[in-house]
Amino acid sequence: MEFLSLLDITFFLLAGFGALVGIIFGAIPGMTATMAVAVCLPLTYALGLHHGLALLLGLYVGGISGGMVPAVLLNIPGTPSSITTTFDGYPMARKGEGEKALKVCVIASVVGGLVSAAVLFLFAPMLADFSIKFSYVEKFLIILLALSVIASLSSSMLIGIFSGVIGIWLSLIGDYSISDGGNGKTRLMFDFMEPYLFEGFSLLPVLIGIFGISTILLEAEKGVKSDTANERIKIGKGSHFSLSIFKGRMTNLMRSSFIGTFVGMLPGVGGSAASVLAYTQEKNLARDSSEMGKGAPQGLIASESANNALTGGALIPLLSLGIPGDSTTAVLIGAFTLQGIQVGPLFIPENPETWYVMMTALVFANIVMFFLMFYAIKHIAKVVMVPKHILYPIIVMMCVVGAYAINYGIMFDVWTLLIFGILGYLVQKVGLEVAPLIIGFILGSQAEIYFVKSLESFGTFSIFFTKSPIAVVLWLLILASVIFSIVMGFKSRAREKMELTQISGSTQTDSGKRHDTNSR
Amino acid sequence: MTVSKKTLAGLSSAVVMASMTFGAGVAMAQDGPLRGNIRVVIGSTSTGGDTYQNSTIVVDKLAEQLDLNMKVDAVGASSAFRTLDRDSRGNTLMIFHDQSYLGYLYGVEGYDNIFEKYTVGPTVAINPGNAYLVPKNSPYETLNDIIEAVGNGEEVRVAIQPGGVSEIGFSALKNAISIEHPGQEDNLVAVNTGSQSDKNQQLFDGQADLINGTVQANEQYTRLPEDDQKAMRFVWLTARQDTIEQAPEEGLGQTTREQLLEYVEPNVHVTMGDDETFTFDKEFFFLYNKDMDPAIVDQIDEALTEIYAEGEIQEVQKNSFFIPNFKPSDEASEYLQEKMSRYEEIIENIQ
Repeated sequence: MEFLSLLDITFFLLAGFGALVGIIFGAIPGMTATMAVAVCLPLTYALGLHHGLALLLGLYVGGISGGMVPAVLLNIPGTPSSITTTFDGYPMARKGEGEKALKVCVIASVVGGLVSAAVLFLFAPMLADFSIKFSYVEKFLIILLALSVIASLSSSMLIGIFSGVIGIWLSLIGDYSISDGGNGKTRLMFDFMEPYLFEGFSLLPVLIGIFGISTILLEAEKGVKSDTANERIKIGKGSHFSLSIFKGRMTNLMRSSFIGTFVGMLPGVGGSAASVLAYTQEKNLARDSSEMGKGAPQGLIASESANNALTGGALIPLLSLGIPGDSTTAVLIGAFTLQGIQVGPLFIPENPETWYVMMTALVFANIVMFFLMFYAIKHIAKVVMVPKHILYPIIVMMCVVGAYAINYGIMFDVWTLLIFGILGYLVQKVGLEVAPLIIGFILGSQAEIYFVKSLESFGTFSIFFTKSPIAVVLWLLILASVIFSIVMGFKSRAREKMELTQISGSTQTDSGKRHDTNSR
Repeated sequence: MTVSKKTLAGLSSAVVMASMTFGAGVAMAQDGPLRGNIRVVIGSTSTGGDTYQNSTIVVDKLAEQLDLNMKVDAVGASSAFRTLDRDSRGNTLMIFHDQSYLGYLYGVEGYDNIFEKYTVGPTVAINPGNAYLVPKNSPYETLNDIIEAVGNGEEVRVAIQPGGVSEIGFSALKNAISIEHPGQEDNLVAVNTGSQSDKNQQLFDGQADLINGTVQANEQYTRLPEDDQKAMRFVWLTARQDTIEQAPEEGLGQTTREQLLEYVEPNVHVTMGDDETFTFDKEFFFLYNKDMDPAIVDQIDEALTEIYAEGEIQEVQKNSFFIPNFKPSDEASEYLQEKMSRYEEIIENIQ
């Protein structure tokens, strides 16, 4: 218990302050947890390792959580991993249940965060050994499983798959990077585009553009007049939050937390895959998932618990292999290198004090995040009460600033924001679906890398089926996911047909009655 | 009402104080040709890597010495070059390592000849940790075993990241095999991967027999028990013997300098022909925009000369397992150009 002497009041203040700043970063579209950690990394020099880690872990937890706010209230995922939060959060906010949605998100987040911290604490070295059983082949299959959500997410499967394929196609623009073991040659573009698109479209500007800017364009189309009055009435009109929402949802909460931890644990499988995967599984396994995508709390629970569970998960390979599990921990590792501390398979046994200090900071940051957000939400949720003609220009400005800042001042990222804003608007106008498109975009390039690398390493297609028992299990899950979506598709079509016949039947009897009255 | 007046007074005095502080900062920074805020971009996107670590050490000292605001930004190679191209005022500087010319030699997209396109600034340090490792239970005990095995027609797969520092050792090995066992060099096969984690994974999966790594990232793996799937063993450090000899005696982690010396020349011999042994020190240096005021080049040279004369920075660098290696711009440029031409030969030989 020697580490207790390292925990002073500054330590807790820094962790709490980190969580607060992180939430703000996460909540501003275009600013991410990764950015927050990167900005504050040099501070660790002055603060020393333990205090520095408290601050950075606070920022990490806060940054991941903050993303839920714009996702729910404005339909803009604050961080890539909160994209699935928009699916149910925004419809709820439109129904006047923004506060309720955010409270569900906060509770799911803190549970996800704490579950993953517990898993990290108890099983880190063991899980690290498990994670290295996932070679390129298994990672490809995980991505494929996450991609299979496209089938169940879309209202028309064919259009959904088509949109998803467009998303994947867009993600392949640019070079197959040398740092990923590719050839560094560009494709899918003309020569004059190379200076701008060498590395392809940046994820975050695309995300903010396609969700945020296109939403604003759609709203702008309606004009200013119909605005203010009726929107204000809506606030608080919807049903209120109560803990009973979580009744019967514990399986979802736990499953999603574990999925988040697990995906976080796999280096190279991005954070957004975690929430997408958890969302898919809830959609497939829940008794009634028909409301998901239209404003169901269960979707929020899956998405938010999974993305916060990433934090603990991503720290597993960092602390037991020296390999960061996601982009934020990749920056976080700098805190150790700057202090000249090696992270590798022997880090935990050789630095027990730092290890306990990190666990304390992680748990404390989660708790601070919970209290900060749970009690501030009432006020944060009022953002939607700001008249749209004032709110939207501010959002556009923040989006532009965020897009410009994300890669340290690349103007093309702002154009990307605009291009994808307009594309998102057009896509919805012609009847394509945005969600599958963006999931395709996020996961497409990773799928490519792991697919190509698998073939390069093993030289045969059959390896995808025969590599390991894990691969077989993943195939079964993919198959189940696809079959489920098809069955659900048929069911909902049958239901719609039945409803239609009922409606037409009742209108016929109505008109029949009227006819009767007239004839009298 | 009084409270708000008080608050107002407090606020305005804070603003006055803040502006005075800022004013003073700007005034102090205007002595030399370098002015305002200086951004130092690096050729790596990783803040956990050696480029960031080393650049931070140097830039921190430099900012202190010049009394300027300086910040290191991990933007990655292509982005860093582009940013440097745009700014000739001297407000953007770049720190990178041998990758900057090796990328050009290997024909990687986005790399030009740095000696033509930029002004090469001073070198600041060496990372002596570029290493090659095998699984702990590998049949190959030494690098010589590998050279012999490949010479006898055995296929050996090496996981590297193509197009630079990670590949140069592989190229040299291939060159050595072509000299000692002509015609057999194609049995040494490159497995192109990305990050260090990918290279490690190739070893765990049995998809590579030898991987490129670093002392810093892989040392702990070499201390795992042999029955651990993750256990590795060093077979080669590409650094010069001189370089490793300058490292602290305690080495890195639990591996001492003495142990590290077992894996460098002359104990490990990778021939370049004519009795010459291949070595590679990964060196960090500044790059400037070609049109930048030469007075700034001198100013930084002078500042660094003073910093290195004080001797404190050397301690910090050594503690982080870097070998201090300051050479002023002119000397550095000549030295690096010569270094490039040596490696150019190797790369041409095996093509």
